[in-house]
Amino acid sequence: MTRQMNTAGSPADMAIEVAGETLVLLPERALWWPGRHTLIVADVHFGKSSVFRTHGVPVPAGSTDDNLARLNACIARYPAQRLLCLGDLTHARSGHTPQLVARLGDFREQHPDMHIELVRGNHDRHAGVPEVLRVTVHEDPHLDGPFSLRHEPPRNEEGIDSGYVLAGHVHPAIVLSTQHDRIRVPCFAVSERMTILPAFGAFTGMHALEMTAGTSYYAALEERVLGPIRNQAIPEKSHDRS
Amino acid sequence: MRSKKPPADATLDPDGENATDMLSDTTLSERYHVWNAPEQPSQQSSLARQLKRARTRNRTATALTDITGEPIKPRRPRVRSSGRMPSAGMMQAQLDHWFSSRGWHIFSFQREVWDHAANGRSGLLHATTGAGKTWAAWGAALIAASRQPKDGLRVLWITPMRALAQDTQRALADPLPALDVEWEVGMRTGDTSSAERTRQRERLPDALVTTPESLSLMLSHEDAHERLGNVAAIVVDEWHELLGNKRGVQVQLALARLRKWNPDLLVWGLSATLGDLDHARQVLAHDNSVLVRGAVPKTLRIDSLLPHSVERFPWGGHLGMNMLEQVVEELDISGTSLLFTNTRSQAELWYQAILSVRPDWAGLIALHHGSLDAEVRIWVENGLKAGTLRAVVCTSSLDLGVDFLPVERVLQLGSPKGVARLMQRAGRSGHAPGRISRVTCVPAQGMELLEAAAARRSAEAGLIEPRFSPAAPLDVLIQHLVTIAVGGGFTPDELLAEMRSTWAYRELGDDDWQWALKFIVHGGEALDAYPEYQRVAVDDQGVYRVPSAAIAKRHRMSIGTITSDSAMTVSFLGGTKLGTVEESFIARLTPGDCFMFGGRLLELIRTREMTAYVKAVRVNRPAVPRWQGGRMPLSSELAGAVLDLMDEVRDGNDQEPETRFLRPLLDLQARWSALPGRDVLLVETTRSREGHHAFFFPFAGRQVHSGLAALFAWRVARHTPITFSMSFNDYGFELLSADPVDWQAEFDADLLSTRNLHEHIGASLNAGQLARRKFREIARVAGLVFQGFPGQMKFARQLQASSELLFDVFERYDPQNRLLRQAYDEALAQELELARLERSMKSMQKRRLDLRVTRNPTPFAFPLMVERFRERLSSEKLSDRVARMVQTLEKAADDAVKPKRKNNAES
Repeated sequence: MTRQMNTAGSPADMAIEVAGETLVLLPERALWWPGRHTLIVADVHFGKSSVFRTHGVPVPAGSTDDNLARLNACIARYPAQRLLCLGDLTHARSGHTPQLVARLGDFREQHPDMHIELVRGNHDRHAGVPEVLRVTVHEDPHLDGPFSLRHEPPRNEEGIDSGYVLAGHVHPAIVLSTQHDRIRVPCFAVSERMTILPAFGAFTGMHALEMTAGTSYYAALEERVLGPIRNQAIPEKSHDRS
Repeated sequence: MRSKKPPADATLDPDGENATDMLSDTTLSERYHVWNAPEQPSQQSSLARQLKRARTRNRTATALTDITGEPIKPRRPRVRSSGRMPSAGMMQAQLDHWFSSRGWHIFSFQREVWDHAANGRSGLLHATTGAGKTWAAWGAALIAASRQPKDGLRVLWITPMRALAQDTQRALADPLPALDVEWEVGMRTGDTSSAERTRQRERLPDALVTTPESLSLMLSHEDAHERLGNVAAIVVDEWHELLGNKRGVQVQLALARLRKWNPDLLVWGLSATLGDLDHARQVLAHDNSVLVRGAVPKTLRIDSLLPHSVERFPWGGHLGMNMLEQVVEELDISGTSLLFTNTRSQAELWYQAILSVRPDWAGLIALHHGSLDAEVRIWVENGLKAGTLRAVVCTSSLDLGVDFLPVERVLQLGSPKGVARLMQRAGRSGHAPGRISRVTCVPAQGMELLEAAAARRSAEAGLIEPRFSPAAPLDVLIQHLVTIAVGGGFTPDELLAEMRSTWAYRELGDDDWQWALKFIVHGGEALDAYPEYQRVAVDDQGVYRVPSAAIAKRHRMSIGTITSDSAMTVSFLGGTKLGTVEESFIARLTPGDCFMFGGRLLELIRTREMTAYVKAVRVNRPAVPRWQGGRMPLSSELAGAVLDLMDEVRDGNDQEPETRFLRPLLDLQARWSALPGRDVLLVETTRSREGHHAFFFPFAGRQVHSGLAALFAWRVARHTPITFSMSFNDYGFELLSADPVDWQAEFDADLLSTRNLHEHIGASLNAGQLARRKFREIARVAGLVFQGFPGQMKFARQLQASSELLFDVFERYDPQNRLLRQAYDEALAQELELARLERSMKSMQKRRLDLRVTRNPTPFAFPLMVERFRERLSSEKLSDRVARMVQTLEKAADDAVKPKRKNNAES
């Protein structure tokens, strides 16, 4: 089902093949679809830290710049004509501050010809979409080539009737641990009929997945994508006590 | 079921050490072990029985219940009090009269406290449990109130555990009619019903029993001054429990506020034995206060249950289960007994194990720990009071509280870790006249016998651990600033003076203060950095207030979330509530996993919001135990006393039965290597298939040893490329390497140098990981993380973020944030006990180095090898680290064990 390829634009990236298409997994927690010149991300949650501040929780700013810088880094590496977000582009309406809108406007000006598209996610329904980005919004699911583009992945694979699913929403992570060390990292979860993307946003949580057989996990580390990791033994229920 | 109202208080974790254990635990390594649940008979004789009995008991009124047959509901007097009381001159006479009418003798310390109160003098009363200390303090409070006749709330009685509040309320209310005091004594804790709260909103009772958290909450109401301004006296019960932690700081801050409103406020604290009582007095009652010593302590006896045979190579792998038979024999010949364990999971195991060998004791023995439902705990406590229980297996949840007269004997399973703790536990027995308090230490492994003997020595010599107030914690400062901003507002200069009147903040720096003000107003240091930020605003008059009702509400709800781990309700699918368990524990489980709780085996079905739904499991299945314990480090006092014992043994002076018993082990140690001692630093090296081992025995407690191990490894690795594996316990630590190390040369160089110590410690440890753990609590206290309550999680859903995520965001975008720095400081000071580490290095410099090469691991080295848990000194980049781990994992790929799932996704 998946196969490693040598078509990645950087040694840090990792190309795989699903549904007859090549997809390149990027350490920025994005996905490059060369067949359609499309950069795919999920769960950006723009403006989340502003939402916190508006409600009296002093979270430092910086995540917006971080998000935009990583988007630009991906765009610089691959000739993207289309930027597709699989839901939760912004976090909440109260996060659409003038500062954020201005920053997004600057980004839009840097990429005037980019097609920006969004598959509407649960947060987008309440938050709305900043006009300044000039986004084409699709309802979930949106069919595109061999893919069924979604925000929420179907609960089980049997629920997939058409197309190979690309989805977000879950903020997937895997826990890697040995007896000495344990670490939680965001990941792509690639299986027979769907791929779940890690959350792109810099200020987003993670949900550690239970590893299942038949799914390959690709850890998105800061410097590179590492994988595939399959149903690893995690010797954490060790026998000795201290 | 009882009131389902969400508590406004923190759930006090009476097994506080479990929470901290858990934290320090996870910083080091995550490990648990699998064991098999014991055989069937225990299944019915578990929590279900306790619950059933509790409920039956509720229905049929007995001597223990009040007239309504409801022992659990707080008493709700329907009649309004008049607030009348005897005049200032008459109050003490009334007390005298009442005592003599009951045929009671007034202890001189009681008289002393009353006299001080009559002169308006505050202080600290040091008394063992029971022994009339409540009367001393209550009398003082009444005298103070009679000296300042006013309306409204007159006396606040602070208790650290809300479970104690009800008993206290009753004890305070009972004598009032006889004293001619027409007062209502109320109670305000997280358990207080909303109806009662509403009643108290209208009018507060004359005296109120409450917790530090509820007191802070009262300060957050706009009319706080009006409502609390007439308080004449405050009694802080069990002050030793609060002194050393942030809840105690909360009390200090509340007292400062009340003192400002009433400069004549009388403050009396009650404390058990502590190493530095004068500090305890100073922090609570300030200058010009007095320390009163209570009645002569009861006779205390500390002894040990000597195993049938000596293990020359001791290890702690069996939770002391090898002592089961002997413990059961002891219980059989003793009256009502308490069996203290160091962790809840150990208590659960022992409860099961005792029942499995004595099924006929079902119903006669019970389990008590902080996670069990209050209903069950109260049933057990009532059973103890009535003497209907033979024995209760418990944790520190029974350390505090009212005395259970019938308790005759206390057994301590495993190391007590500290002198004060053992004495406190011993004090739970022997309250009947003429009885002595007796505690028997049951060693989980032979070496713990040394600790028992050492504890006896220290208790006799009065060498008891001190506790110190935290110094100027910024998170509590920020919480308090917002509390006061919500509760009517403040002007900075005035509030700063008030803050600096507390011990904790007496040296609060101007820069910290300014930073905190900017932080609550602007969300950061830079002015106007975040125009959208709002929490506290400054009005035209320069008063700091919280303008948003929603923010005020959220702040009130989060006051007092100082306890470190959030509690999750454990409930059957049908809705029957079993108790609470640490969220971090549940987070490690996957549905289908089993765990022991309340004496029965449960399977996790699902978690929803703050409830873990479970079903009972009938068949034996492996269970995931909760944190294995005894992680509290051995106190310096106890460790020192152990070394003294070693010195005596070396001199052939076997005074203690424990050292005589351990003679074979100690002889072997001396023969193969040497005994450590006060003036000797013993280091052993040996070779095995694993590599070159070096064992160091500084006797400085496990936390210090973990720091020393990392430091030594780092210092050696600076000039020689080498990788060490480490393990440590309370006595020493092991460094294992593939290549040999010339330790003599290392000692001759700077291994023990305290120069650049902080820098080297910082470099040698993954301080970030430690700080990340600490930040959990800090983020909660400072209001960065809003926890919400069961059933209210949807409230402010878009504000859910884990403290871990916030930690990352602060590290990345605001690394100078002072709360972050506080996390690092606390990690070093508490997780590593940096001050103790430094002291211990200085002491090691003075000791004679005794470097031994041994053929085999010695009896002292063996436990370190067995309890091996290695922290690899790691400075690799994240991706290298993961790549290396994946490599390791791939080797083990065939035996597929599932990874863990966590439940803190945000979407």
